Amino acid sequence: MSLFTLGIARGLVGQVLGMVIGMLLTCAVRILLGWEAWAAEPAWTVGSVCSIIGFLLGVGSLDDWLKWTRGIQTPLVHGPPVDKPAWTRYFSVDYNHKVIGVQYTVWGILLLMVGGTVAMIFRTELARSGLQFLGLDLYNSFIGMHGMIMIFAILLGVGGMGNYLVPLMIGAEDMAFPRLNALGFWFNVPGSILLLLSLFIGGWDAGWTAYPPLSARGPIGYQLFFLGVFAIGLSSIVGSLNLLVTLLRMRPAGMSLFRMPIFCWAVFATSLIQLTATQLIGTSFLMVSVQRAIGMGFFDPRGILGEVSPMVGGGDPVLFQHLFWFYSHPAVYIFVLPGLGIVSELLPVFSRKPLFGYKWIALSSMAIAIVGFIVWGHHMFVSGYNDILRIPFMYATLLVAIPTGVKFFSWLGTIWGGKVHFDTPMLFVLGAISVFLIGGLTGPILATVPTDLPLHDSYFVVGHFHATMFGGFVFPFFAALYYWFPKVTGRMYNEKLGKIHFFIMTPAFWVQTLGQMGVGVMGMRRRIADYDPTLGQGQIENWQMAVTIAGFAIAFGVMLMLWNFFQNAEVGVSAGDNPWRSRSPEWQIPSPIPEHSFPAPLKVVGEPYDYGLADSGYVTTTSPGDD
Amino acid sequence: MASNRRHFIIASVLIVICTLIVYWVLDTVLLKPAAAVVEAGPIDYLFDLHIWLIAFLFALVGVFMCYALIVFRARGDEGDGEHIHGNGLLEIIWTVVPCFVVVYFAWIGTTMLIDLTEAHPDEYVVSAEGRQWSWLFTYPESGAVTPDLVLPVDTPIRMDLTSDDVLHNFWVPEFRVKQDTVPGMVTYVRFTPNLIGEYVLRCAELCGTNHSGMLATVRVVSQEEFKLWQSEQVAQLQE
Repeated sequence: MSLFTLGIARGLVGQVLGMVIGMLLTCAVRILLGWEAWAAEPAWTVGSVCSIIGFLLGVGSLDDWLKWTRGIQTPLVHGPPVDKPAWTRYFSVDYNHKVIGVQYTVWGILLLMVGGTVAMIFRTELARSGLQFLGLDLYNSFIGMHGMIMIFAILLGVGGMGNYLVPLMIGAEDMAFPRLNALGFWFNVPGSILLLLSLFIGGWDAGWTAYPPLSARGPIGYQLFFLGVFAIGLSSIVGSLNLLVTLLRMRPAGMSLFRMPIFCWAVFATSLIQLTATQLIGTSFLMVSVQRAIGMGFFDPRGILGEVSPMVGGGDPVLFQHLFWFYSHPAVYIFVLPGLGIVSELLPVFSRKPLFGYKWIALSSMAIAIVGFIVWGHHMFVSGYNDILRIPFMYATLLVAIPTGVKFFSWLGTIWGGKVHFDTPMLFVLGAISVFLIGGLTGPILATVPTDLPLHDSYFVVGHFHATMFGGFVFPFFAALYYWFPKVTGRMYNEKLGKIHFFIMTPAFWVQTLGQMGVGVMGMRRRIADYDPTLGQGQIENWQMAVTIAGFAIAFGVMLMLWNFFQNAEVGVSAGDNPWRSRSPEWQIPSPIPEHSFPAPLKVVGEPYDYGLADSGYVTTTSPGDD
Repeated sequence: MASNRRHFIIASVLIVICTLIVYWVLDTVLLKPAAAVVEAGPIDYLFDLHIWLIAFLFALVGVFMCYALIVFRARGDEGDGEHIHGNGLLEIIWTVVPCFVVVYFAWIGTTMLIDLTEAHPDEYVVSAEGRQWSWLFTYPESGAVTPDLVLPVDTPIRMDLTSDDVLHNFWVPEFRVKQDTVPGMVTYVRFTPNLIGEYVLRCAELCGTNHSGMLATVRVVSQEEFKLWQSEQVAQLQE
């Protein structure tokens, strides 16, 4: 079998060829114009655009559509590839949502490891004051890298859970648009490769937020970073569109919106944000890219590009921040809503009790999604926009606490009076609640402008943000991995190792996040390569060391988890079809799930979470003849 | 239900104890920089109020969660819990009560913010310009230009902030307030130093390579010393 039977190998070749062709094209145009043939920035920019297209052509994600343009019919192929080993489908274009879900998840975990490694490198640097082994520029590139790689990883994780679970939970045969679904995944690969490549051609030193004017004047790495984000954004848009249509159009008879598994509500709310807000970050980064490439001064107030193009100017740096945060604040809810959905989904199963206040939880997700659109200004409390407008943004931001509180209290109501089992997925759900509680409670102090003034852009924000991301995404994501691992592989992970992972990672994370907030209160700014050792009455170094050690403990825990999955995916103990005694549709069918998940259309016969109600069912999966 | 009442009484007692403990821990552990301006008073007061809120809510959720996990753990049986779908009244209570709490906090924040940004009739104006990676201060009254900031104590100050290149941020942790400097516009920040001493101005907006080292010394001196320093500066200018 040749390597090029794998779609991803062809895609990578296509990406390299695309890059070369794009560069040659740029040189050719420049020669025609009578300019010097080689200019690094335009060459890399055009090359990067072409490289994304090259990858998609190479991997074969556009094949069917291209054939259609020539009038050739192509049937939707479902099933393992003919005359190739079955595993190769995971490395090629495949239209089964379960394969795409696994592709998303695995690629997400890979990026999670890369982003985590970058974090460990600069955490080591920060363990002591003074510069140990990182240069200033490399440090600045690394913090932005860590941020953006993690955002990619989270979006992939969210996509993985949504694509794998939503069709199963609503009993749909597949997603509404399988080809678009595959395209949505494959955008991520060239996108993340561009992002990683940017580090090797100069990096980019303005953090993941890439505020101009700094991002408009730094190294070429910015262009690859912008275009990488653009590709991921396209993935978000087509992926969320697909999920929305699937949720709205492919539910079986009898499954009203309020009878969907609660995770579907979370995905619905998240997809609404993704479909409508992602354009804004794409636009804002594209505008900086164009400003750099041809001197269009969108964000350039007075032609500070100087000799390069002396005529630019008339732009506004603060405008960028508005465009950027109009996506990037709701983006935080894109990351956490599915995670909170996982918490709501798993609590009833392990508490053996109905979800407390289903409708309230479902609508709280929608409320968070909607309010999320009018709070972006809190990221800009000190940016210099109209003073008075800070007040409505303060009120709007504090309002987010209300639907979030509804979730917390409803979770407590779910546990109360149940019969709680402490398997690893449940431990991670409880860990998620504890960590998201820390993240949530440290929100209002940042939302209130007077207390935000000292904390803004300090390490306190870093602690707060990591608590929301770990509580809202990482812990629930790990819970989901442990929970659905038996469904995906048909095998059980090692429970003891899972528990060890939990008991290392959770306290370590508490130390990390509280440590980060603590040094922020002392007066340490975020995004600095070196800090003043006299801060906090000289105690800051001890705190930093604790945060670094905790960070390594978390990394060790994640390694344990991956080892656990790797070990047991093929040879672990057989898990049976429904080890958690769940009522959800995906657990009523065999593990691993057959190619066509359900033998016949689902019939909804009851409520999703009627634990404790004798002789009640949620769905039946029998074929029509058995009725 | 009788057992539920007993559970709630025990949990409430634990919540009170836990709130006090969490507040005490946070109050001890969080090391705020010294307060060197008048504005630090109200800001630190609101900070403290928030810490109380955090302590209470942490205790509320934490105690109920841990208590429920212990009392309602599955004791080896495979049975199910009570079949309860929710409680509309409870949901309404925990939606409406937090509404009042957040509006109360937002209202305090609003009045305080208006106070913090209000112009004083006799404020002393100093201009600061951020540039990669240093600061330049201009005193309009005397025309002096210095790399370090010298301010008179007990005098309302307005800093007019500009930038020569990229975004920076004017922040002295002991002064609490901070403000971005933006190329192409003048932003401002107000405070009244009330503690003589030497502090460090730290740029708090990522501004490129040496962002972490973009510092300037800030000296708050007595009004007499400030007059003296100012006349020295004028003398130097005339030379």
